[in-house]
Amino acid sequence: MAPSRREERTPHWILHTFLAATVIYTVYPVLWVLTIAFSGKQSLAIADLPADPTKLDRFRAVLPWPTRFAFGNFSSVMADQPFARWMLNSAIVAIGATIVGVALSCTAAYAFSRFKFPGRRFGMMSFLVSQMFPGTLTLIPLYIIIVQWLGLGSTLSGLVIVYATTSIPFSVWMLKGYFDTIPKELEEAAVMEGAGPGKIFWSIVLPLAKPAIAITALFSFMTGWNEFIQAATFMDKEEMYTAPVGLRFFVGGFQQQWGYFAAGSIIVSIPVVLLFLYLQKYLVSGLTAGSVKG
Amino acid sequence: MRTLFVLLAAVAGILMPGAAAAQAKLVVWHSYRGGEKSAFEKVVGAFNARPDTKIKVDALAVPFDAFADKISAAVPRGKGPDIFIYAQDRMGGWVEAGNTVEPIDFYVDDALKGRFIPTTVEALTYRGNLYGLPLDYKVIALIHNRKLLKTPPRTTGELVKVAQGLTNRPAGKFGLAWSYGDFYYVASLLNGFGGGVFDKATRPTMNAPENVKALDLLVKWEKAGFMPAEPSSALITSLFNEGKAAMVFSGPWFLGEVASDIDYGVAPLPTIDEAGGQPMRPWMTVEGVFVSAQSQHKDAAFEFAKYVTGAEAGKVMALEGRQSPAAKAVYDDPKVQADPVLSAFRKQVEVAVPMPNVAEMTMMWSPATTALNKVNAGNSPREAMDVAQKALQKDVDALRKKK
Amino acid sequence: MSPAGPPASRVRFGIGLLFGLLVALAGGWALLLGARTQLEDDWTTRRAIVAVNALGSLVGQATDDAGVRKLVSAWQGTHPPGTRVRVIRGTTLEASTDPADTGAKAAPRRLAREEKPLYDQAQRLRAGVDSNREGGAPKAEIEVERQGGARQVAAPLEADGKVTGMVRLLVPAEPSTGGRSPVQAVLLLVFALVLYAVAAWLLPPRTALLATVSTALFCLAAAFFVGGELRALGLAERDGQRALASTVAAEVGRARALTGASAIDGGAWDTDLARKPHGLVTGAGAIDREKGEAQAQRVRRGALRSLLTLAALGLLALVVVGFGGAHRVGRALVTNRQAYAYIAPAIMGTTLLVFFPFLYGIALSFTDSNIYNTNLPLTELWVGLRNYATILGDFSFLRRAADGHWVFNYLNFYWTFLFTVIWTITNVVWGVSFGLLLALVLNTKGLALRPIYRVLLILPWAMPNYITALIWKGMFHRQFGVVNQVLAIFGFEPLSWFDTPFTSYLTALATNGWLSFPFMMVVSLGALQSIPADLYEAARVDGASRWQQFRAITLPSLKPALVPAVILSVVWTFNMFNIIYLVTAGEPGGSTEILITQAYKYAFQRYQYGYAAAYATIIFGILLVYGTIQNRVTRATEAL
Repeated sequence: MAPSRREERTPHWILHTFLAATVIYTVYPVLWVLTIAFSGKQSLAIADLPADPTKLDRFRAVLPWPTRFAFGNFSSVMADQPFARWMLNSAIVAIGATIVGVALSCTAAYAFSRFKFPGRRFGMMSFLVSQMFPGTLTLIPLYIIIVQWLGLGSTLSGLVIVYATTSIPFSVWMLKGYFDTIPKELEEAAVMEGAGPGKIFWSIVLPLAKPAIAITALFSFMTGWNEFIQAATFMDKEEMYTAPVGLRFFVGGFQQQWGYFAAGSIIVSIPVVLLFLYLQKYLVSGLTAGSVKG
Repeated sequence: MRTLFVLLAAVAGILMPGAAAAQAKLVVWHSYRGGEKSAFEKVVGAFNARPDTKIKVDALAVPFDAFADKISAAVPRGKGPDIFIYAQDRMGGWVEAGNTVEPIDFYVDDALKGRFIPTTVEALTYRGNLYGLPLDYKVIALIHNRKLLKTPPRTTGELVKVAQGLTNRPAGKFGLAWSYGDFYYVASLLNGFGGGVFDKATRPTMNAPENVKALDLLVKWEKAGFMPAEPSSALITSLFNEGKAAMVFSGPWFLGEVASDIDYGVAPLPTIDEAGGQPMRPWMTVEGVFVSAQSQHKDAAFEFAKYVTGAEAGKVMALEGRQSPAAKAVYDDPKVQADPVLSAFRKQVEVAVPMPNVAEMTMMWSPATTALNKVNAGNSPREAMDVAQKALQKDVDALRKKK
Repeated sequence: MSPAGPPASRVRFGIGLLFGLLVALAGGWALLLGARTQLEDDWTTRRAIVAVNALGSLVGQATDDAGVRKLVSAWQGTHPPGTRVRVIRGTTLEASTDPADTGAKAAPRRLAREEKPLYDQAQRLRAGVDSNREGGAPKAEIEVERQGGARQVAAPLEADGKVTGMVRLLVPAEPSTGGRSPVQAVLLLVFALVLYAVAAWLLPPRTALLATVSTALFCLAAAFFVGGELRALGLAERDGQRALASTVAAEVGRARALTGASAIDGGAWDTDLARKPHGLVTGAGAIDREKGEAQAQRVRRGALRSLLTLAALGLLALVVVGFGGAHRVGRALVTNRQAYAYIAPAIMGTTLLVFFPFLYGIALSFTDSNIYNTNLPLTELWVGLRNYATILGDFSFLRRAADGHWVFNYLNFYWTFLFTVIWTITNVVWGVSFGLLLALVLNTKGLALRPIYRVLLILPWAMPNYITALIWKGMFHRQFGVVNQVLAIFGFEPLSWFDTPFTSYLTALATNGWLSFPFMMVVSLGALQSIPADLYEAARVDGASRWQQFRAITLPSLKPALVPAVILSVVWTFNMFNIIYLVTAGEPGGSTEILITQAYKYAFQRYQYGYAAAYATIIFGILLVYGTIQNRVTRATEAL
């Protein structure tokens, strides 16, 4: 960056202040979750005030901070049930759904972006339309398809199919939009050099679309990672449950063990954060990295 | 080859029903976790280890939030468990929808019925037919912090006096904390006054004068200021765990949330002075052992149901799972008798009312909650319940109208 | 493959005529075959019901167990050999003419363990009668099982207005009257094709002419077919009525012989499953002419409607094929086979798992399906547009409370719709603008700590929202919530957030806003990478201000990636069930329900499945309209 352009930019301290304020906003409720998880108790934390609170008392009451660090909730979550196994199932299902979903979406989105064919708009619309019918009411028809027709009850592949198809519509739209922004000249140049459509797609378009693929991958992963009701309905064996199913044991019915649930939530969100850490380098790569200039 | 085998097995099944039942492999679904789950699994293990049976049972825990949906999805399609354990409130719906719960009236004689606390059997009877054996019951009672309150009040008059003495509103300390925004809890007052939500022919009776009187009393309590505002169950647990609530009306599930440093006692709910000394009558939910209508081994499934609801299994469930079994004989056990919590709930159940098991029950919650919120926000109980009555009547009629 | 050119229109219309006639005639013939089987089936059932009602009324009159057994065996004697009667009271088999029930198993005896279904059936019938008397949902009081042509029927036994047991009767099969031969339909088809061939050979190959000829031939053949078949159907119906009447007359005669009574109303035995008399047959066993004719009319009209629908479909096939539509579709499939192959897997998965449930839902929305009738086929529950009319025709916005003032009716569809729209717009506007702003800030070159900010800012998305939603709800508690504490620090009065619709809505908005912006941030961040840096450099050289750059470069370049995200997040927010359910639960008084939570309540709390499906379909319709308009405006499906 040439220093002469520095002046027209917002000073970084303003950006940092803004970001810091936003971080406080996003992290604040998460800190409460941490507080509950580490409290060693099962109740939600509440503001603890003396009879005649001063402003300082009130201020202290709104600060979420564990009064002690008890790891009992974490160890109970991991030890009293096969939680690690459930996390593994979730990981297999979510990664499987991501691979299947992203692969199918990439090819479909590429066709929608690059080919002109009858039914193109209809196809795109139908993906959108598929998101419009309320999913809450379709559990039983889905059960009929997955368990009765396909016989995929209590299998991870059944869930992979369901989750992949759930995320495909968004992924196709997202990727198609992104593919549209990749200049066609690049591909035309490759055609001149004799590359086939498969090679063009694989070695030119996909690398340029890394940010969009990262987004769709994250989205697909999250779709499978956090889903509860379908996993609970299609799985008839305890060792086949996924992590969200395991988590719900703590809060269903009358009994609400928030301490366990909070600890479990934290454990469950760690892989997501790790995945994001890994994906973010792709998220911010792409055309700006200069590959387009060639 | 496999088809042949299946065919042979089917023929054998027809010819020798006894032999087929003896090799049955059963699946049971339940929604227990923690201590209840391990106690239940222990009972299942003991059943499997019995020398005189070849029935083997596998238990599967299903999260409560998914249980009803899973049953409705799987069982009518011939999948799912042979036996499932669930509260009676969905039972009427399952019976009406058909193909879900097997009636077991035929198997059950008076001796077997006599095993259980009578109201628990009543809870699992629908239109004169018995659909499940009662495993355990849950009722709310009075739970108090012994550090703050040694002897719990016996009447509402005492309750108000004691609670007011223990309240310090600005400091967030309350004499009594309970989910009085949740109709399930408040029903204990309504029932105490002789009210209820449906009559015998399942016609709604939301605005019956008894119900209104009960809510008038609730309003009086609210005005007296010894109960916290917006009482969510999470808040009540927190208050009790922080020593900021002296008394709580709640059930056995609450005890699992109480922090280990709190010394608590359980006592029956007080009698209502305003209702001529009638006791508060909480709703009782009964967890029934249901045989699936699609089970291939109904006889064997019933054998298992009989076993888990027996006294021997009940003792394990009571002492290790901290549940209140429906079998009367369990409470003759000296260890159970010596347990203050179990005996308090046993005493409470004497005046409890089985929560209606009709299909229309699920329609009641939404209008009832709305009415209760209105009352809690200061509106007249009479009017709120009139509106609820109209709304519920409309929903009930919608199901009954002929095409 | 060299293009062979379109086939001549002569051939095309010929093929079209063939297809059209196949659809109309073969389809119609199959349909009528089904209808006639159904008709015969129904009459057989109805005659069996007459018999079981006759038997039931006789057994009900018997004074003691022995009397019942005597009557039953006498009854057996007057009926065809395959007839079987069983009388069950409680757990006792009181009388039986079943050959299996002899010797050690002779009645009376306790039911064996494997005979539990009999006991259960008796209980079911009793519960059905009780339920109907109380005015509950309509229940069957007679159960019929088909066993080939035979019928196993069961009816309750009554004494003093109470159900005391059940009688089960097996009516043996009677010879079938046989189906109708397809010769007529085949002849019509051949005849029409031959005529067309002749005409096409004689006439000049002009499209309009060929179309007219083929259509005329199609209509002619269809008309002949429909006319002939309807007549035959009418005759079959009349035969059925006659057979019923003779059954009633026979039963009346036998009953007279068995009891010696003279006044017997046999017409009352011809009932539906709820034991309500049809009134088609008089007491003595003759057909009520007017009613009989009306019923035959109904049968013919129903068949006519289906046949006309089929004929219309056939005509459509004729036109499509004839004018070359089918040919063009085939060509398009071949030419673009690569594109179709690319999208096929994704489309197929979505079609299977999304559109099947969805079509099922739409079909359900035209029915009166509820918990009491889930075992009936949807066609029997058809109510047409009634659910839609009820939902959309509810204009009761206000109602008068007891104390005279007007109260807003929050449960009205239009209020919920309005609220859902407000909810969606505010959430999406907040999510998109805040997410985009953060993405822009995070995209600043050289800003330190960017990876850390990014990770911290996606935390709301990463954490299960079940718990964070409840934390947010807790933050708005009147006494113990931190929001009111903060208000107190600044000297404001605490608020009861869930007591008024507006503040309650704010709590849900705060929660969902917190949950939804990270997704938009990530999408925007990715989309920003597609903008080539040299565009900005060029703009700066031209002296464009930062705002101008944003308007002229950033926004247009973001459009392709952002528009889909916006459209989809509108769709998702519109159906954002969890947050409303967990945070406000619709309070106060249902004012903060959105359409999807309302639909959920109809399905799972009120058990009105058809009504809930109509709600869901309306939601779908609204979103479809929105999607189409938005797509038109932004051209999101178009490439650049």
